[in-house]
Amino acid sequence: MAAASASAGEQYNYDIVRKFTVMALVWGVLGMLAGVYIASELAWPILNLDNPALTFGRLRPVHTTLVIFGFGGSALFATSYYVVQRTCQTRLFSDGLANFTFWGWQLSVGLAAISYMAGYTQAREYAEMVWPIDLLIAVTWVAYLVVYVVTLTRRSQPHIYVANWFFIAFILATALLHIFNNMAVPVSFFSLESYSLHAGVQDAMTQWWYGHNAVGFFLTAAFLGMMYYFVPKQAGRPVYSYRLSIIHFWALIFLYMWVGGHHLHWTALPDWTSTLAATFSILLLLPSWGGMINGIMTLSGAWDKLRTDPVIRFMVVSLSFYGMSTFEGPLMSLKSVNALSHYTDWTIGHVHSGALGWVAMVSFGSLYHLVPRLWETTMYSVRAIYLHFWLATIGIVLYISAMWVSGIGQGLMLRAFDEYGNLAYNFIETVSFLHKPYVIRAFGGALFVTGIIIMGWNVVMTIRKGRREAAEIEARIAAKMAAAS
Amino acid sequence: MKHESIETNSGLLIVLTLIVISIGGLVEIVPLYFIDDTVETVKVDGVDTIRPYTPLELRGRDIYQREGCYTCHSQMIRPFRDEALRYGHYSLAAESQFDHPFQWGSKRTGPDLARVGGKYSNDWHVRHLVAPRSMVPESIMPNYPWLLDTPLRYKDIENRMRALKMVGVPYSETEAEYNANVERFGKEVADMLDINYATENLVKQAQTGNYDLDNTDITEMDALVAYLQVLGTMVDFKQFDEGYFATFR
Amino acid sequence: MEEFFSWFTKMENTKPFVLVLFFVTFVGIILYVYTGNRRKQRLESYKNIPLDDDANDTNREGNEQ
Repeated sequence: MAAASASAGEQYNYDIVRKFTVMALVWGVLGMLAGVYIASELAWPILNLDNPALTFGRLRPVHTTLVIFGFGGSALFATSYYVVQRTCQTRLFSDGLANFTFWGWQLSVGLAAISYMAGYTQAREYAEMVWPIDLLIAVTWVAYLVVYVVTLTRRSQPHIYVANWFFIAFILATALLHIFNNMAVPVSFFSLESYSLHAGVQDAMTQWWYGHNAVGFFLTAAFLGMMYYFVPKQAGRPVYSYRLSIIHFWALIFLYMWVGGHHLHWTALPDWTSTLAATFSILLLLPSWGGMINGIMTLSGAWDKLRTDPVIRFMVVSLSFYGMSTFEGPLMSLKSVNALSHYTDWTIGHVHSGALGWVAMVSFGSLYHLVPRLWETTMYSVRAIYLHFWLATIGIVLYISAMWVSGIGQGLMLRAFDEYGNLAYNFIETVSFLHKPYVIRAFGGALFVTGIIIMGWNVVMTIRKGRREAAEIEARIAAKMAAAS
Repeated sequence: MKHESIETNSGLLIVLTLIVISIGGLVEIVPLYFIDDTVETVKVDGVDTIRPYTPLELRGRDIYQREGCYTCHSQMIRPFRDEALRYGHYSLAAESQFDHPFQWGSKRTGPDLARVGGKYSNDWHVRHLVAPRSMVPESIMPNYPWLLDTPLRYKDIENRMRALKMVGVPYSETEAEYNANVERFGKEVADMLDINYATENLVKQAQTGNYDLDNTDITEMDALVAYLQVLGTMVDFKQFDEGYFATFR
Repeated sequence: MEEFFSWFTKMENTKPFVLVLFFVTFVGIILYVYTGNRRKQRLESYKNIPLDDDANDTNREGNEQ
């Protein structure tokens, strides 16, 4: 063991966790601002400004990439590197390789955003990155796997804590999905453009196998890993049932991989595939809710903290949204419901109740837990955390309510017939109907962004406070040393 | 095997996790390549009517992808009454068999485009793309005025067709491949799929098609409108018995 | 190989096959995880791992698990 004075910061590699934490917030602010901007473009199309780089079609992948891979990805790197060190009680393997994952990842996200605005895309949802960026991501990801697994093998106790299982499954699944979905032949060695290996129906199935498991593993399994560490930690109580977490893990990772086909109901995908996908989507409710119950029950007995600890509030709300959206998901995977919901804003609302309500909220909670520990101080402003909490919660509620109205409303209008059996509305009439919900959605999104901007300010002030305090302690020690000599 | 050994052995955990997460994808994706009924046979007089895109249409499709049209427009009509009235016959898997990547989309902020070809005039498309609200006042689509000013880049058209050939699209380069295309699609189509004449074919189609209403130059508008005008036009559903395509579903 | 795969695409084959296979596996895992008092105590003891790490922060001597 190290010398008695060794701090946690030296025993563990906290530097890499700090870097990813800061970048998570940077990408979060940028990505969500892009989101509010494109939401406003739909409400007021003049905002497209006749500028190719700013049109909805090019900015939408910028938004999704920055929030999923920039914000979500960086938050996952930060928390997974923190959790694996703390639960294995060993230092992260190879500072150099860990730093490589940092720069590789940030470069990938930044280049992706710039290239979309310049018009370079694979036109595959959530996998729009052109092939050279795909290669960079692949290399970075392999480095991530190596860092993570070697750290695991160096743990100082026999058992691998369940949070790490989820992180491992996330890393492996993402590798698998990324490689198979991005197989393509470049136009030439010096061209950024390429054509995908698969075509038509097979391509669609591969893409949505990827697309839904980006949700399942990137945005769910990995954030469950986060949940299994930070919720018990913040509540000061162990997870409700460890045995339930084992069942949760195997059931979840098995079932998720089957459900991608529910994005292709009623399409040219064969019936057997989409029926299979729907069946598994409904089964998926069970492990999802098992995990949610496990998280919520961890907090039972610590409910009083809900009044005094805003971080716990983020976690409770995130678990509630997780429960809600994992109920809504199987519902929407039913063919009869999907006939109405598919192609409408209901899907957009569903994604955001998961992405804002679950993913972003649990990340905020975990980062608020993490930041004071990384910079060895306390949060600069607890009131700002409360403010962030309310802005975020109200923002989400406005967002998803607006999308329910616009999605279900448009769905019903499109299938309405008049008394003679003709279509009751033409398409553009349904578009006019969407205007008001779109304005409310943009407003809800703006509230959410204001929240994360306040968080960013709070974290910057906390970092400065931490540095100031560290400098003071150092000065005091130096003064004492000088007095002693 | 005890669960304990999974929990304590990271190698075993990795292997088991990989197996468990592979099953779903394998069962759902792999058969799609082997089951013949997945993609319909669409032949009229022994000739495939669904053909790969011509060089100009192909470049139009590239622009469609570049501008992210798929973020608001689907190309997949579902078998419902309202969609049949609004868009036409439901989409066949065969109709996107040469689409690398597929552009079925996931959201209809604008209408489905799977059968937009021939529905509007070239003139309408050009005006609509430059300023959608001049044609449809309530539209929320962005303006795309630069398409009309930007000359189409087609120097690398042969490379593009070669790349697509590598992933399975039947563009021809050798005599034998050309002859196979003549047999499969007929001579007229086979000529358009010949990589050796790609540039000539592209220029000729742009000039005779008069897509952007201006024959002096070839713009991105030419290519995009050419692509939009071919969407959904390759199958003449009158030629097939009612219920024929249902046998594939 | 093709025949093997197409067997799975027929719902009347796949449904019972998959149901039995997954159900047995699922029940097996449940039985394993939820039976045995010793196993229960061992598994549930792991949930304290995240809470044990604080003691390690200061690295006080003799505070090993």
